[in-house]
Amino acid sequence: MESFYATKLDEFAKGKISRRMLLEALTVAATTTAATTATTSASAAQASDPALKVQLVNHISYNCPEFKKAADWYSKVFNLEQVGTTKIDTALPFGKKGEKPFGVTANDVPLSSLIIRSRDLNAPPQGGGEARRKSRAVIEHMGYTVADFDREKAKVDLKALGVENVRDGGLYSLHMTDAFGYDVQISGVANNALTDGA
Amino acid sequence: MEKFIDKLIRQFESGALGRREFCQMMGIATAIYAAGGPEANAAPAGRGFKALGINHVSYMCPDYTKARDFYSSMFGMRVVNDKGMGRANLAFGPEPDKGGNFLVVHNPGANPPKPTQAVIDHVCYTISNWDEGKVRAALKAKGFDKPTGRDGSLHVYDPFDYDVQIGNAVQENAFRRGA
Repeated sequence: MESFYATKLDEFAKGKISRRMLLEALTVAATTTAATTATTSASAAQASDPALKVQLVNHISYNCPEFKKAADWYSKVFNLEQVGTTKIDTALPFGKKGEKPFGVTANDVPLSSLIIRSRDLNAPPQGGGEARRKSRAVIEHMGYTVADFDREKAKVDLKALGVENVRDGGLYSLHMTDAFGYDVQISGVANNALTDGA
Repeated sequence: MEKFIDKLIRQFESGALGRREFCQMMGIATAIYAAGGPEANAAPAGRGFKALGINHVSYMCPDYTKARDFYSSMFGMRVVNDKGMGRANLAFGPEPDKGGNFLVVHNPGANPPKPTQAVIDHVCYTISNWDEGKVRAALKAKGFDKPTGRDGSLHVYDPFDYDVQIGNAVQENAFRRGA
């Protein structure tokens, strides 16, 4: 694609095309390439999908003593709407209704969301059945991707929002604690499976 | 995008940007556009951050290799950055730097996390092109004869008895709760 940009630039420099034509050609090329790249990636992934291949986190089930307090914290820090609120829980999707998840082109992958609840995890299951097992694993922190992440600016912004225990995390991120002391990490896309722990 | 390219052309015209730099900047701009674009992702001023989604889930367990093998063989997650040092990343979804999620499976460190009042009691993953028969058959083949839940939304336990949910876009969609 860079050779296309170079060719168009040369044509412009030699007076073969106008400035307007150059601008239009580059804009169309850039946006079309982006769309094609996304579609190709999705197609390749689908071709090798087994029945259980996961595409994205659907939701994180977060349980705490006061779901509204936690939900308000996440709404404030991450600009998330609260939808489908009941007496014991609410959902905070990462986007607006009708939007696709960041980076996803498939039509049947919904926005990831946080479901924040206040429920008794030791209560016997409704309708009988096996009681919840006691897990030997724990999700000890969650990482969220934010747009235009700049660590130093983010520190200032988080402190202005009243967020506690803001501290550096690795090369590309920040950690903090939420309304219930839970460890939350934020970063841009620079923190990803290839760079984290590399 | 057009405004950005217009600015690049102006810089090229003024000599501030060479031919090579111009082409490189165009390549970067295309990649950013593909990833959503800063203009599209900008948060409203003074209202916290614009969250794009989940980055990763940090999963601590007694033996990360068991978790690694389970999640990669069961759910097709791709093992990345496993140096045999007690942790691995398991990538899934879009490309890692374009919205992909990952599960960090790791052994406990020297400083265990402080107990908190909040807990992530389960994680649900979306499966695209959900086929109820195939999903249940695949679970059965892996030894999960009786997943709990309902059609389109099933629960199993992983090797450390952590609750794992899988679902499709119809049954597990924040905007359809209570529908």
